[in-house]
Amino acid sequence: MLSRVANNLYWLDRYMQRSYGLLNIISTNHNSTIDSGDYSSWESIMNSYMGFKSDKKIINYDDSLKVIEYMLFDYKNPNSLKNIVSKSRENARSVQDHISREVWLSANKYFLFINDQTTLSNFKKSDPLNFLNKLLQFNLLYYSTSDITQERGNAYCFMNVGKYFERIIQSVDFLYFKLLKLSENEKNLQEIVFWKNLLISIGGYQLYTKTYKSIFKIENIIEMILINDNFPRSVKYGVNKLKLHIKRLNTFNELKKTESFFLAEKLENNLKFNTNKILNSKGLRFFLDDLIKEINELSIKINEDYFS
Amino acid sequence: MLKDKVSLENYEYMSNAWDEMFDLQGNIRPEYLSFKKLLKKVNINSLREMEDFARQFFMTQGVTFTVYNNNEGIERIFPFDILPRIIKAKEWIEIEEGIKQRIKALNLFLKDIYHEQFILKDNVFPSNLISNNPQYLFEMRKLNVPKNIYTHISGIDLIRNTDGKFYVLEDNLRTPSGVCYMLENREISRRLYPSFFPKQNILSVLNYPSILYDHLSSLVDKKNPTIVLLTPGLYNSAYYEHSTLARLMGIELVEGRDLVLNNNYVYMKNAGGLKRVDVIYRRIDDDYLDPLYFNSSSQLGVAGIMSSYRKGNVVIVNAPGSGIADDKASYIYVPKMISYYLNEEPILKNIDTFELENPEHYKHVHDNIEKMVVKKTDGSGGYGMLMGNSATEKEIESYKKLIQKNPKNFIAQPVISISTTPCLIDDELTPRCVDLRPFAIYGSEGIKVCPGGLSRVALKKGSLVVNSSQGGGSKDTWIIKNLK
Repeated sequence: MLSRVANNLYWLDRYMQRSYGLLNIISTNHNSTIDSGDYSSWESIMNSYMGFKSDKKIINYDDSLKVIEYMLFDYKNPNSLKNIVSKSRENARSVQDHISREVWLSANKYFLFINDQTTLSNFKKSDPLNFLNKLLQFNLLYYSTSDITQERGNAYCFMNVGKYFERIIQSVDFLYFKLLKLSENEKNLQEIVFWKNLLISIGGYQLYTKTYKSIFKIENIIEMILINDNFPRSVKYGVNKLKLHIKRLNTFNELKKTESFFLAEKLENNLKFNTNKILNSKGLRFFLDDLIKEINELSIKINEDYFS
Repeated sequence: MLKDKVSLENYEYMSNAWDEMFDLQGNIRPEYLSFKKLLKKVNINSLREMEDFARQFFMTQGVTFTVYNNNEGIERIFPFDILPRIIKAKEWIEIEEGIKQRIKALNLFLKDIYHEQFILKDNVFPSNLISNNPQYLFEMRKLNVPKNIYTHISGIDLIRNTDGKFYVLEDNLRTPSGVCYMLENREISRRLYPSFFPKQNILSVLNYPSILYDHLSSLVDKKNPTIVLLTPGLYNSAYYEHSTLARLMGIELVEGRDLVLNNNYVYMKNAGGLKRVDVIYRRIDDDYLDPLYFNSSSQLGVAGIMSSYRKGNVVIVNAPGSGIADDKASYIYVPKMISYYLNEEPILKNIDTFELENPEHYKHVHDNIEKMVVKKTDGSGGYGMLMGNSATEKEIESYKKLIQKNPKNFIAQPVISISTTPCLIDDELTPRCVDLRPFAIYGSEGIKVCPGGLSRVALKKGSLVVNSSQGGGSKDTWIIKNLK
């Protein structure tokens, strides 16, 4: 497989995962503002997800609908949903001969929907949560289509490397920006609704209550998001998958142990053998700093090993 | 009162043009009889739904091109008319034979002018058309191409004149496009007429990709050769076609930046390392193929690819330099080529063509310009031509000045009445001009012409220009097997 094609497959799924993460965070935050009436949370989301500079006060954060409209439809912001989905589809378009017909149709239909002129006016007329759910269905459809129809070869592995890489970054960001900021916001800690929304935004509420009942402890949340073996959004789960697909790629392409594989293995071991350090919230920041460095390094190596 | 069926009786003919469905007395031609029965039964709402379905189908399948406006990309489809264009098998056989004859002669011509040049020595073809022509590549001189085939893939543009005969309008031997529209149009016809279509004995076009693949792989003496399709990239208006052909043939779609030269061999840059390429089906023009030989600013091609080709290390399809044979000035001489090389009468006729560098022709065209279509010899896609019957006086005067500056760059043909075909426009059957581009593959086992081809229609009323870049649309073309 061509390096360019491999790179486009990787970005196809990275962008698709990014759009999924963005929709989840918008949906949950909107939900939580209804409970709390605290709109300030939009600002931090705009900063981290939209690369939005806080000095440009073009948005009134008290108006959730306007903020959501901006995040979904602003065509000038490269991180808006519209642009992320368009980039994902553009990557799909350039690798049509490597993805199943159904995967292509699914990405193209998502793109056509978000770019349809009536979509924005429909958004303005509908309940935002319903509308966001409708958009999320496109992501879910994409994942299931890809799971059912995509042959398990090179293309599937590159797509998965992209998907899990993006997912790991999202989970690490979540820990960094959400949990580490808790101390600044301690009044919220006693409110169940706060924890509930936090866990919903990363898709882990159901698993959490099953495992820990409704006793919310920061260590338990960290455990679940960082090192839980069965939570599909945990960093550990993502790293395992990443390693698996990198290993398969090396077999398919008759490559010896690549640097990427070595780094993925190193990440996996760090998560496996540093449990105490991780669960101690004071050590978490240092651990996450190291983790982010390693993830960046892995990204560079994936580029060097397969795309250049 | 609102009508619920489309009216066949009120069809308004274009004067002086052959209509594909009706004869001059208003009778339905035999090839359209069963389709007429269907039209009588279907109500207008269903036809509208079918039009809508076709539009949605092209959109969701991504049979589109992108128009950029205000930094936003807008997806557009090439308009498609849901009524098929139907041709009798008897007529098709003649078209097929005519195309085969023409392509055979054109290939012999290419071999000749890049080798011994007998046709020039015998004064059958003027040598100045070669010496002054940028399409003639000196890099191809004395080079033996695999199996002596230059034009592996051709698209021959035909029109039907008032006498009901098909004439050749243009030979496209460089990188003819449109074959995927032919395939998609067929796919949508099957969906639009699910119970009618199977009973019509329509010749299939669906094996085009496998014939093409077989042919491309037969060009090298190697089992499972690596074949790639070279595209200019995602932003080219024919990108959809490139990616579809690659997908249907199961070959890699590459861009110039994916290829690299090493020791005069071409390799593609794979995730697992370099892989040698044996055959390149290129969809970029000669000029952009190799910056070392041709346009030095080209970023679409591959530096050194011509050296590799000249050494016989890679096959390029169609052969570089084939453009000299489909040049508008060479077109005039194709009937002569057919009798010179094959000693046969041309089966498909040319349209009378005047060369403006010939003073007699020049005067004739100059005096009758309102009855002429004037074209640049190196133009394509319907750009830069003058339709004498519809141009303003000012346009004619400025075009005349252009011709005067360099008459040899122009040819002229009388404005002909291209045949019309009924299209569904605003719920009415409306005549629109139509041409036909059949596609032919020249392989080691001879020439195969895909039955049918792309019927392009000029959707603007009264327009003769069918090119998609000029607002044209297309139709599916049905060749009915048992209808003599």
